Amino acid sequence: MAAMPATLRVSDTGAAWAVSDPRELALRIRLRAVRMVAPAGSGYLGQALSSAEQVAAVFASARPGVDRIVCSPGHYIIGPFAAAAELGLIDLSGYGQNDSAFEAIGTERSPVVDYTCGSLGQGLSAALGFALADRFRGRDARVFTMVSDGELEEGQVWEAALFAAHHRLDRLVVLLDANNSQVDGPVDSITTLEPIAAKWAAFGWDVWDLDGHDVSALSVALAAAPMRAGQPSVLVCRTSTRHGLDCLPPGADGHFIKLTPELAFAAERELTGKLEALRA
Amino acid sequence: MREPPYRTELKPYGRALVAAARHRGEILCLSGDLTRQTEVDLFQAEFPDRFINGGMAEANMMGMAGALARCGYLPFVHTFGVFATRRPFDQIANAIAYPNLPVRIIGFMPGVSTPGGPSHQAIDDVALMRALPNMTVVDVADAVETRQVVSAVADVPGPVYVRLKRGEIPVIFGDDHVLRLGRAEVVLAGTDVALFASGMMLAAALAASRVLGEHGVSVSVVNVPVVKPLDSATVLAAAAAAARLVVTAENHSVIGGLGSAVAETIAEAGLGRPLRRIGLRDTFAEGSLDAPFLFERYGLSTGAIVETIWSALSRAGPAPPAPVTATRSGEYSPV
Repeated sequence: MAAMPATLRVSDTGAAWAVSDPRELALRIRLRAVRMVAPAGSGYLGQALSSAEQVAAVFASARPGVDRIVCSPGHYIIGPFAAAAELGLIDLSGYGQNDSAFEAIGTERSPVVDYTCGSLGQGLSAALGFALADRFRGRDARVFTMVSDGELEEGQVWEAALFAAHHRLDRLVVLLDANNSQVDGPVDSITTLEPIAAKWAAFGWDVWDLDGHDVSALSVALAAAPMRAGQPSVLVCRTSTRHGLDCLPPGADGHFIKLTPELAFAAERELTGKLEALRA
Repeated sequence: MREPPYRTELKPYGRALVAAARHRGEILCLSGDLTRQTEVDLFQAEFPDRFINGGMAEANMMGMAGALARCGYLPFVHTFGVFATRRPFDQIANAIAYPNLPVRIIGFMPGVSTPGGPSHQAIDDVALMRALPNMTVVDVADAVETRQVVSAVADVPGPVYVRLKRGEIPVIFGDDHVLRLGRAEVVLAGTDVALFASGMMLAAALAASRVLGEHGVSVSVVNVPVVKPLDSATVLAAAAAAARLVVTAENHSVIGGLGSAVAETIAEAGLGRPLRRIGLRDTFAEGSLDAPFLFERYGLSTGAIVETIWSALSRAGPAPPAPVTATRSGEYSPV
């Protein structure tokens, strides 16, 4: 398959891919993310580790050329980039280097997703705009929207949550990565967000609270979307920024992981081993 | 050009938006819970399916507008200028200006034209919007220009911020006046002073020019409806033609708006002219019951322009008084 032009989105006509095993794709996202971060020695690897199953499940569920993917936190763009590269959609060479379209924090030049933004808390509003446009046009598209728990500290997310429920935007599906990680430390040490699921339910959303590393459960939920007519839905994905990479030291900073050459080597060995075991 | 007192019109913008929307299906209308105040009750009545009330949630509204524009729509977003620019500045920067999307942000109630106090006064909106790459900034002067502003901005490829007076809109220009986005326009010719005015200050600038002319000071008046991109050719030509002084007048802070734009342009061209900026002098404006009081107190009156020019030219004696125009209900004269 030819690589996409750098500007193509998964929702553009002509986009094509297939995911045979989302579990395997999640592993490959982790391995690819390690390889993307290793040259710089640090990066947003923790975001890829906590969201790998969500990204894999979205790519397994999204209909190419129809459904949309919004990656609200630009720091998470590493996940969709890694998945798209593993699926043969993009050539990631130059990632994170000067003058590359693939910046570590998503920009307007970031391909693959319909929207991403490094200023946090803005993606859900864009997702509403897409959902409204699709409704105006009678377009049968779902908008899969990645949101992080730290973003819930931004008021704009709740403005958008109110609007979505009031306007019954049931084609909208939020994957909320509840990894309890933000720059200054664990989210719950800075702002109490719990009960997260009850908050979204109170805002009028259909809520699924699940293990965010259970790719089968995620795939089942996404396949069912829209789950309830007239209601937007949110999957509260309970995750960890260290999941699936046992060699990480206990104190690794989930927001911005340092990856020494030794650690990168160990991570490569661990993940290739897991991949071989899965394929065996 | 008409003479004060000017007759006024109601809802010239709202009618123009409806007229444009009749033949352009891609136009959408967003309102931040200020639908009647921003004249788009007319749009809501005629095109309810293309009207989106974002509620009091400007950040979300700007984010939605950006995504709608990505999908090929032409969103016109309405609220008061102060809420359109200060609250959602980061959203406009990231979701609209950076991707260079054709969102039209319409901010009503410019500067101190509101009795709503500092929370409602858009005194820095031009500065904020002018600082954003890709943004066009428009501040029209009267109803004739307002009637044309929708069609004038409709096909600008990137985002546009338009500030509009609320309520009774004076008719200053003749019906043959054409608003051109790329052009500032010398509306009165003069030789001593070049007076650049935007938006609501055009009426006062015209009145000041007349008074000064009667007292031997020749003042050209340049209407500048587009503060960015500035028509630097017209600005430089008018400034160069003024032998002694350049003055700017804006219903806005003197920092970052028309005065700054003109100053930057003439300084970079190496054109040496004394400069005076009429506007809010780096202050919030308190104590209002009505706009005329604030225009007077904060130096935005015809008299303030006359005195500024009189004193900058070191003319002897007190400045001539500004005219008082008898103005009936439904008419408009500058303070």
